[in-house]
Amino acid sequence: MPNAILDPTGTVTSSSAARPAAPRAPRLASLRGKRVGLLINTKQNARPFLEEVGRLLAEKYGVTLSERVKVNFAVPEPENVIKELAAENDVVITGVGDCGSCSAAAAADGVVLEAAGVPVAAIITDSFIPTADAMAALRGAPGYQYATTAHPVAVLTPDKVRERAAQVLDDVVALLVDGGNTGKAEA
Amino acid sequence: MSYAEKMADIAAMLAADGYRLAVEENGHRVALTVSPGPDACEDCLVPKDVFRGIAAHHLGVDGGLIDVTYPVDLPGYAGGSH
Repeated sequence: MPNAILDPTGTVTSSSAARPAAPRAPRLASLRGKRVGLLINTKQNARPFLEEVGRLLAEKYGVTLSERVKVNFAVPEPENVIKELAAENDVVITGVGDCGSCSAAAAADGVVLEAAGVPVAAIITDSFIPTADAMAALRGAPGYQYATTAHPVAVLTPDKVRERAAQVLDDVVALLVDGGNTGKAEA
Repeated sequence: MSYAEKMADIAAMLAADGYRLAVEENGHRVALTVSPGPDACEDCLVPKDVFRGIAAHHLGVDGGLIDVTYPVDLPGYAGGSH
């Protein structure tokens, strides 16, 4: 008997009738020297948070950074932007999902970029795990993995933002490289 | 556990964006009303069908039995802050 699964629109269906799972990009062996795209969603403190994560990755792994700002934090990126991000980066880090719609959009962007072949680390605040999970399931990726940090991020001081970025770094790396290898041995 | 208790985590999630959640049981149906507080972030709500799915999961009922009212559906709603 097939297992019942959750349809994010609230309808219970059988797994045999479910759509195929969205593909997940192959993980990298290492971040060493890779191109890292920061997809900044314009929520308060998202830019300094992601830039600090990027700075730490550059320091630790010698990655090359690029930035792109979401036009609207509340909605997933259009197909042309996804294609450009996939072409220009080896991995993408997006966030910060610090509200309902932006956490859902971050998860949606992550799922689509993964399907385009790019490993993604989305960063979501813990208050909005239900929305990220629901949107990922809606996009065909139930159980989609992302990094979390405590809510809220928007009100943090610059020092606290840097502290939070450092705290989430290992989880971000684990989402991007094969076998969850954080690459600590490379540091 | 009542439906309101089952939705407590979701109510807290909505409160983080400045919204209140009212839960009402109407026979075999559930009515969920999301209303804005004074500092509600207008663009921060998930699409209604996604919210219905989240609620269905937490309540353990089919989404078709959940009536969702969003701020835009409320009489006199004129938008919130960003």
